[in-house]
Amino acid sequence: MGLLSDPSISTQSKLVDGLARHVRKVCLVLYVAGVVWFFCLALPEFNHGTYLSENALSPGLVYPEIRVDANRLAIQLLEELHRERTNHVSTTPHAWIAAKMNEFGLETHTHNYTLRYPFGGGKEYHGKNVYGILRAPRIASTEGIVFTAPYRAASSVHTDISPSVPLLLAFADFARRKNYWAKDLIFLVTEQEQLGMQAWLEAYHDGDRVPDANRTYLRPGNLPARAGSLQAALNIEVQDLEIDYVDVRIEGLNGKLPNLDMFNLVQRIMAREGIASGYKQAPRKKRRHSQSVYEQNLRGMLSMLASQASGVPTGNHGLFHRYRIDALTIAAARRQTHATLKGNPGSAAVPLLKAIEGISRSLNNLLERFHQSFFFYVIVNNDRYISIGDYMPALVALVACAFVKAYLKWATLPSASEMEAAAAAASAAGSESELPSPGEAEPDEPFDLPYGSVLIYLVATLAIGYLCNVLPLQQYFLEIPMGAAPLTTSVLSFLSLIGFILPFVVVLPPGGLELLHVAFLLIYGCAMIAIGLLNFALGFFVAVLTVPLVISLETSEENTKSSFRNSIRLLTLILNPMMIVYVIVLAMTFYQFPELPMQKIMLRAATAAMDASAYGLIDSVIYGNFLYFVVSTVLLPLWILCWTLALSKRRDYADYLDFDEAPSPQPPAPPAQRQAKLKRN
Amino acid sequence: MCQLRPRPLCQRLGSLLMALQVFLMAVLPAIAAATPATVGAPPPTTAPTTGGSRPNFSGPLGRSDERFHEELVVRPLSGDHVNTYFQFTTRWHFGKKDNLYHTQLTPRVIAEVLQQFDVKELHIGLTQGLWRYETWGYPIVEATSGAEMWAWFSGDNLTATEVDRQWGQLANVFSGVLCASLNFVDKTNSISPRHLLRPQFMPANRPRSVRYASLPREIVCTENLTPWKKLLPCGSASGFASLLNSGHVHNTKYHSLGLKVRMLCEDHLEDNCIVELTQTANLVYDLRLFELSNNDFSLRRLFGMGLNGFCELAESSKIYVQRNEQGQKYSLVPQPTQEVKSIRGGHLVVYAVYDMLEQFKDPGERLFNIAWLTPKNENRRRNLMKPTLPPVTVHRYLLGNGQERGRIATEVTNNHYEALPILVQELVPWYVHAYLHTLKIRRKPQRVNEYTRRWLPFKLLHYTPGKQRELPSHLEIGFTLPGQTSALITIDVDYLLLKWLEYPPDANHGHYIGAAMVSTQLPMGRNYTALPPEGHLFEHSFNATRPNYVLSLHTEALIVSLPTPDFSMPYNVICLACTVVALAFGPIHSVATKVIVVGRQASAPKNFVRKILGKIFRRNTVQVRAAAAAAAGAAQAEALRGGGGGRGGGRTAADQPILEDLREEEEQEQD
Repeated sequence: MGLLSDPSISTQSKLVDGLARHVRKVCLVLYVAGVVWFFCLALPEFNHGTYLSENALSPGLVYPEIRVDANRLAIQLLEELHRERTNHVSTTPHAWIAAKMNEFGLETHTHNYTLRYPFGGGKEYHGKNVYGILRAPRIASTEGIVFTAPYRAASSVHTDISPSVPLLLAFADFARRKNYWAKDLIFLVTEQEQLGMQAWLEAYHDGDRVPDANRTYLRPGNLPARAGSLQAALNIEVQDLEIDYVDVRIEGLNGKLPNLDMFNLVQRIMAREGIASGYKQAPRKKRRHSQSVYEQNLRGMLSMLASQASGVPTGNHGLFHRYRIDALTIAAARRQTHATLKGNPGSAAVPLLKAIEGISRSLNNLLERFHQSFFFYVIVNNDRYISIGDYMPALVALVACAFVKAYLKWATLPSASEMEAAAAAASAAGSESELPSPGEAEPDEPFDLPYGSVLIYLVATLAIGYLCNVLPLQQYFLEIPMGAAPLTTSVLSFLSLIGFILPFVVVLPPGGLELLHVAFLLIYGCAMIAIGLLNFALGFFVAVLTVPLVISLETSEENTKSSFRNSIRLLTLILNPMMIVYVIVLAMTFYQFPELPMQKIMLRAATAAMDASAYGLIDSVIYGNFLYFVVSTVLLPLWILCWTLALSKRRDYADYLDFDEAPSPQPPAPPAQRQAKLKRN
Repeated sequence: MCQLRPRPLCQRLGSLLMALQVFLMAVLPAIAAATPATVGAPPPTTAPTTGGSRPNFSGPLGRSDERFHEELVVRPLSGDHVNTYFQFTTRWHFGKKDNLYHTQLTPRVIAEVLQQFDVKELHIGLTQGLWRYETWGYPIVEATSGAEMWAWFSGDNLTATEVDRQWGQLANVFSGVLCASLNFVDKTNSISPRHLLRPQFMPANRPRSVRYASLPREIVCTENLTPWKKLLPCGSASGFASLLNSGHVHNTKYHSLGLKVRMLCEDHLEDNCIVELTQTANLVYDLRLFELSNNDFSLRRLFGMGLNGFCELAESSKIYVQRNEQGQKYSLVPQPTQEVKSIRGGHLVVYAVYDMLEQFKDPGERLFNIAWLTPKNENRRRNLMKPTLPPVTVHRYLLGNGQERGRIATEVTNNHYEALPILVQELVPWYVHAYLHTLKIRRKPQRVNEYTRRWLPFKLLHYTPGKQRELPSHLEIGFTLPGQTSALITIDVDYLLLKWLEYPPDANHGHYIGAAMVSTQLPMGRNYTALPPEGHLFEHSFNATRPNYVLSLHTEALIVSLPTPDFSMPYNVICLACTVVALAFGPIHSVATKVIVVGRQASAPKNFVRKILGKIFRRNTVQVRAAAAAAAGAAQAEALRGGGGGRGGGRTAADQPILEDLREEEEQEQD
């Protein structure tokens, strides 16, 4: 209790003295340790082989029963669908899908939803999902599993994945004739990419919500039928019935992942059916064999973290995770026809159908929700993973710097006597004649740290961040005839500008900067840990970028070269969240269009960054992606604080003396010496 | 028939119906005030006349008359399903209560239960699967998934605690009889419904009480079927019960075993009673699971074997096959000897009747089989025609995400064009906290898929709040549902974090919330197949036109994920560590915050006796005082000296311990 407030520990203790002497080194060591630990994780000694924790899954316990006739049905349905697609170029053939589901004996329903697009004058888009429920004989509709296939219209710019619907239907027809189902199976065909999925899930879980015309952008409506609590979901995206390999996609919204058991289950079953499958599986010819195992592992890790960091799901499965439904996507790539590699088209999809059957039967065996194994992990390789207990120390070591420094700052906060000493020094430097005699002083008057003004300053910066979040969606802004991207960007840059100017306008009273520094370090540390727990990738990358700045940031004026201070100021400016977004987009543009001249790339990156911020906002209001929130409401205020500290604008002590009736300076030698010692470090 | 025994039966019937009418008029008009046409108090004479015109009671019933009937109803349903309904009815006019000691066809356990308890009516249902109202229409006997049980008690000087005791014992008896987990029925999952359940026993005008419980988690299997069959007079040796082989019964989409006992006594004369035991088995087969090339089926295919005859003890043994609606497309082999047309509430149903007594008239061993054949020209393409929706359908689902709170939503859809009175009963277990102030009934037109802010007022509300680990929440709502409208009843709930030993071994499976019951009165008889309350055989439902039909429906049960700790090694470690910390906190806190002052022993007791006394009364213990040490010295000296003079007569003996806190000390100092 008295740990933080007890003056006997704070200033006089040896710990603080020692820490003050070595704080830079300690922080540096911690930072390096964190980063090195992270790189070590790619070594086989630091990660583990995957295993199935949930015994109920027992993959491959049953022999697959699905036969070539299901494949024949899939081919026939695909032909029918292709005929339908000529008539429905930009829409989904709902009627055909619903009729097929009905014919196979599923309880078929449609689900309508409406999207009110926040920008561009509130245009409305309508969508429709079709789903059929196979009512399981062994249960009273209390649990269900979802099989989804996104449908892309023929006019879509994305890769054609229309064969997933026939595959889904062929499996549904097979499953309907079995009596072992202990969970209702829902076969769902969504449209408009992730929007349909999101609407369906919202309708399933929040179907009774009364839409608020101003606040809700996606009106999901209600579902006519449900199947109890959903246990798992499998999203199928197949480019062709003849497949080359299967890419298992797991990253969900905000970097959430399905249970590792589910990924392992898919891997096991795919391996049994002889399908090349894996996480971020690439076609065979592209695989490089020259890399060492370590390099491969590191690449795997980094690519997974990179795709997690943005928080955008890699497929429709990602939206399930928020409802605690474990889901992943099986994305099968089309086989390139080789003269030497000729498959039999009549049975091409049988392995995949068998795999889907095996996965669904294993999921059907589940007695409990997925709860064993890991929900937080990083996949190093298809059969190796890093658990949360192993990767968190890296982040903790990085963030620990902030806390160590915060403690030191708190312990060495200028007390009354020091402040007076500093003031005395300042006034002495100004003119010795004005030195007030000790007799006139009031030594009992306590010196208070300016808690109030620092708190107000913090609130102001947070308010700026909050405005970033809500301002672009206000009605009066939306009515401005401006595109989504310029509008969002202009609001964001305006608010950043306010943040930039803020420290020039508002100057904190003496002691305020130090207090602000402590507050900044604490908020920064807590924010990094919180972000890292929710989305490790995002937290870790942000921490790796910003911790050096946080370490080197100092508020004191003495003993620091101005060049050092200026370089820190420059670094702070560069690390502005909007700058970082721009730099990332610039790098990606450069990587994608290396042939363009630099100017064009920069221009293009600027528009792309503007688009990115608008998409981030839309993602956050429709899907609940928190990346935009993190950047605007957490990182931007932190940056403003950082900028304030880097500038270190102080009121002159002379002003302060005039202003505050001049507290008497007592020149106590020991504190001054200690302070000087502190500043040296 | 009535002439033979003029007194009991006609009177009985009349009074039974009176009782039912009294009940209905008490409850439902309140709801149906807006729709007087549906209630429109019928003249009590209608029922006896219709009852008289039909062979409601097969043959005369004398005292100690005991009859057994077996019936099988086969109804093809839409979506390639077939409903087979077995009903075994034993009706025993036993007269005096003492006669219950001498049972013949009625199982002894039933007679003993009636002897021992004041139970007048008992329903037990053991069900696997869910009846799909949308595609299958209404069942002949309603049941919820899992186990369900309710009983009416009536007797002299019956108190509520006595009813609770008897209810618990009754559940335990039938837990043994049916090998079901009915012994888990206790106060934490039983309610006494106020409005929804209607008595069917007689005389029902006395003070009576009802208890209801459901166990949605119960899984029904062979172990329940075998003891259930043993209650039958012929067992499973012969008769229709021989068709019920567990291998085939449990491969159905829905199977429900039912047991219903009721007492019909004369109003004033307690020793003129009938006991009626009805055992039902309701099965729904899915023809697609047979993997056939066409939709043909037969008894043999459904049950694995043909019928080997009738139960020799049975008064009648008949098979009814529905011939219209979905049954229209089938031709029967062998051709039925008899057809019955039943018009009920303006709805025509045609049944082909096979009388097994006729069929097995001649001696000789053979198996009887009925085959349903579709015409050869009909192709394999299944019937895609959607069935007409029954007038009222119900659903229930859980809304919200996360393990902290959610909303239970019950949806009632009225597909009829007229407004209907609806009664909904919810039983929310204690581990889910329901908040009554969040109860909302919203409405929408049937075709629209989004609920708006249009409320529906409720006409009747009965709520018994739950109590943690003791009582479930019990809610009954009555309202009028306009035609072609859906109503969504939502109530917000909080999920409770259980104590760590209260979680079942499969903690992550979730906990069950039982099905809601919905009751209504239909003005017409479409899809309505239940027996009239005064009848006891399936054939009594033929032509049983009434002014309205009381319909009772069950929704789905729900699974909720309560906040579940990670029951793995770290969790155990956390539990252990927290316990240790909690144990250590108390002493450490008291040591850290109190100043312990060791007071000198005031005056040593002189003799041995006083020493002992002193020990007993703890008079010479260490004085613990939360006081500043310096202050304590002076005060203590004072206290010891003058026997607490400063404080008046508070202290009598010099060696009285001084247990005071700081404030008292300060007061003393100020003194």
